[in-house]
Amino acid sequence: MIFEKRTERILVPMFFMVALFLPLFLESNSFFVGKVTTIIILSIFVMSLDFLVGRVGLITLGHALFYGLGGYLFVILAPEYEAVNFWIYTFYICGISALIALITGAVVLRTTGIYFIMITLAISQMMFYYFFDSLEFGGDDGVFIFMKPETSIFGLSFLNLDDPQHFYYLTLFSLFNTLVFFKVVLRSRFGRIVEATKQNPDRTEALGYNIFIFRLACYVIGSTLGAYAGFLFALQYGFVNPSFLAWEMSGTALVMSILGGLGTIYGAILGTFTYEGLQYLFEHLTEEWLLFMGSAIILMVIVLRKGIAGYLEKLLEK
Amino acid sequence: MSRMKTLLCAAMAASLATTAATSSAASDPVKIGIMLPFSGIYAQLGEAGRDGLKLALKEQAADLHGANIEFIEMDTEAKPARAPELASAMLGQHEADFVIGPVHSGVAMGMIKVLRGKDTVMIIPNAGAAAATGPLCSPNIFRTSFSSWQPSYPMGKVALDKGYKDVYLISWNYGMGRESLEAFEESFEAGGGNIVKKVLMPFPSTNFQPHISDIAAQDPDAVFVFFAGGGAIKFVKDYDAMGLRGKIPLLGSGFLTEGTLEAQGDAAEGVLTGLHYAEQLDVPKNQAFREAFNTEYGHYPDIYAVQGYDAGLAIADTLNQLSGDVSDKQAVISTMEALTINSPRGDFTFSRAHNPVQNIYLREVKDGANVVASIAAEALEDPARGCKL
Amino acid sequence: MTTELFFVQLINGIQYGLLLFLIASGLTLVFGVMGILNLAHGSMYMVGAYLVWYFATVTGSFTLSAILSAILALALGILIERVLIQRLYNRNHLDQVLLTIGMIFVFNSLQSILFGNDPYGVAVPSTLDGGIPFTENSSYPIYRIFAALICVSIAGVLYYVVSRTRLGMLIRAGESNREMVEALGVNIKSLYTIVFAIGVMLAAVSGIIAAPMRSIVPGMGESVLITCFVVVVIGGMGSIKGAFVGALLVGLISTFSSVLMPSMSNMIIYIFMILVLLVKPQGLFAK
Repeated sequence: MIFEKRTERILVPMFFMVALFLPLFLESNSFFVGKVTTIIILSIFVMSLDFLVGRVGLITLGHALFYGLGGYLFVILAPEYEAVNFWIYTFYICGISALIALITGAVVLRTTGIYFIMITLAISQMMFYYFFDSLEFGGDDGVFIFMKPETSIFGLSFLNLDDPQHFYYLTLFSLFNTLVFFKVVLRSRFGRIVEATKQNPDRTEALGYNIFIFRLACYVIGSTLGAYAGFLFALQYGFVNPSFLAWEMSGTALVMSILGGLGTIYGAILGTFTYEGLQYLFEHLTEEWLLFMGSAIILMVIVLRKGIAGYLEKLLEK
Repeated sequence: MSRMKTLLCAAMAASLATTAATSSAASDPVKIGIMLPFSGIYAQLGEAGRDGLKLALKEQAADLHGANIEFIEMDTEAKPARAPELASAMLGQHEADFVIGPVHSGVAMGMIKVLRGKDTVMIIPNAGAAAATGPLCSPNIFRTSFSSWQPSYPMGKVALDKGYKDVYLISWNYGMGRESLEAFEESFEAGGGNIVKKVLMPFPSTNFQPHISDIAAQDPDAVFVFFAGGGAIKFVKDYDAMGLRGKIPLLGSGFLTEGTLEAQGDAAEGVLTGLHYAEQLDVPKNQAFREAFNTEYGHYPDIYAVQGYDAGLAIADTLNQLSGDVSDKQAVISTMEALTINSPRGDFTFSRAHNPVQNIYLREVKDGANVVASIAAEALEDPARGCKL
Repeated sequence: MTTELFFVQLINGIQYGLLLFLIASGLTLVFGVMGILNLAHGSMYMVGAYLVWYFATVTGSFTLSAILSAILALALGILIERVLIQRLYNRNHLDQVLLTIGMIFVFNSLQSILFGNDPYGVAVPSTLDGGIPFTENSSYPIYRIFAALICVSIAGVLYYVVSRTRLGMLIRAGESNREMVEALGVNIKSLYTIVFAIGVMLAAVSGIIAAPMRSIVPGMGESVLITCFVVVVIGGMGSIKGAFVGALLVGLISTFSSVLMPSMSNMIIYIFMILVLLVKPQGLFAK
């Protein structure tokens, strides 16, 4: 069983069961299907960040670079008025993102601690300004994706990305796979060595493992999945804007993953849904929602020592 | 932030004043979605636009044929990433008949992506992005503000008339800044003027001092700029602090001195700008509007309130002509595009791309106010390049 | 670029850098001593600017307002440390990041509730108004020279306090060995409170000094935050000397790049920072 904790074994199936049947109770064009889709996409992004920050110990404040890149790479690669194949372009986008992660990772991983935070921030800010100032990609106004990709495999097409329900299930399927993927990776031999590099880097090094290589591999994995989430987000409304890779985006994702319970992987879903849910609630209650949002965050940091997942585990693991 | 506030009193006043037979629409409210920034850098612009909009509908309540108006407010925070989601909430969740917004051009793009070609009529009360009434124009997209081209284009001619041959251009390197400088260049160079230097500095940097030193070194006949909000305040103050005011005339798109004069103080005296409005504009409607706004909200309105007010007028006039029935969207659009809006800025109509055809006034800052010197361009129509309507 | 213009821009760059130093000094001090990454540092800068604007409109005196605002900021710093930060000393650093992000939201909201969202400006105090002749057709504002002098003096005082006084000794000792300081009978809790409050006050003072030179608008805190981080990272987190050198470098680079290649200048300080970290992964003056 890849889910070690009782809490996961209860919560994860519960979440996916509810999520699986949710659209059946909502109208297919309903706003809520779209809203939940966005949160699911964000959950994938936050999960990839949680893996890096919570499990590998790489505190990045530049993860949004890949979120934005997922959308911009599609805009750069795909012809404007022709529907391309979704699977092929997913492959392209993930491949190129992995390559970019490999190159930038080799640079940023030379630093540690606070300097790692700052150098990841610097690289993402650089790319933010690159797209912000670039006339060919719409500059600060952003750019539209006019043609959504088609999804046929060997001529068989069973998904229509223009249909909000189909798109919903694609993102849910992606979230499930991401979760299982991380769980499997972390339980593997590779995962255990990664765990060791975080707990005790010196000893791991002494055992003959090259820490740098392991960290770099993790950085590439996390970044690539972050880019995939960004690609999905760009496809949802067909809109890409430089703000997708602004540092605020990285900061918000970090808040969501800490809120959910750092390093728990499934906590990313809890954190993202809680954050978005609270924001939705406060926005509907009051014009000064920022005050409530900020206070809620402060309160949760103080009260919940290990995030929401940590709190639930305390209740359920006996 | 969809705090729904139904203007019940308006509907009630209307139904009392008119006989019961006027309308069948009373039961089915007309939903107006407001998508403006109420937090963050542009919050003040959002609030002004909303207040103007609501004032217009309140004033016109008697002419709405008993239509119930329901407002749905959402805070865009000026964040483009959330724009499509909020717009689709307006469309899918609230089924808004009209959506008013936004302020920020990036948000406008995100909204247009969702609303373009839909039944809901979108009225942009500020964002100047050329694309909105250019390549992306659509029958259901209207604008009651300006295109970035409009306030700047006439200023090229103004500069020539003043005898300035060599002009230095500076703005931020973003859509509005680039489009404003290009519009100035277009008319200025066509008249034989010479651009000494064109600087697009990084947005949103306000480190103007090095550039002002450069202007002093180049010593042009005049300087033309586009800056707005906090940047406009700082540029004008820096320009004065470095001793260039009174030596090298400063010209700009009107936002340079709009809603910023108090903060700029004496530093703004003598600045020349072009805009489709001026607070002391001598139009009867303007005086009435300013007093009504002050009575309602306790302070005088700015340009953003005017633009929101005109969006409200466009809706009210349309409702009036259609007897409060907005079920036929084609009728709504064809009614709205034929309107003449009796605006505080003077009457205006809509161009084929649904951008206002309006006067641009040349204003000079005197004793802390934008005083209208002349009409820089009469009934100016945006060229709407790329629009296929 | 002529020689004259070169020197003009040199002065502009130094002046900008000095202001950056003042904003960044509190950030680096708090990080150096307490290991806290305060993302709400920019909000404290905003607090200083708004307070001085408010008091200046009420009292009419810039000097009085500046003193009042600085004292209030100090009190605010003590309050924040006692009520919030203190709870997190034995927690993960990321919890502190999260807490301070929450504080950004709260302060932005309070700004909007208390002061509204209009842009404001503070007039230059009349005794410092005006300029001295500078180049053929431009002058240099006296207030900016004054502001630069203030920044230099604060840098001097900070350097003196940290390297020469008993408080400074404790601060330096606290950085390297917490237990040692406690063993000496010093209450590390009060030391932390003082340092954090001074950090907040330094940010607020930079907001106060900057107020007459810039516009007071919502979001002004975040706009300086990232630049501040660049400054302290280039200099080496926790080093006052490093922040000083880093600030001057960033000031000069952004001044010259914005004139010589404006389209690149947003990216250039980040490129510079990455280069510095590649050569010296702990910043220029790492400990």
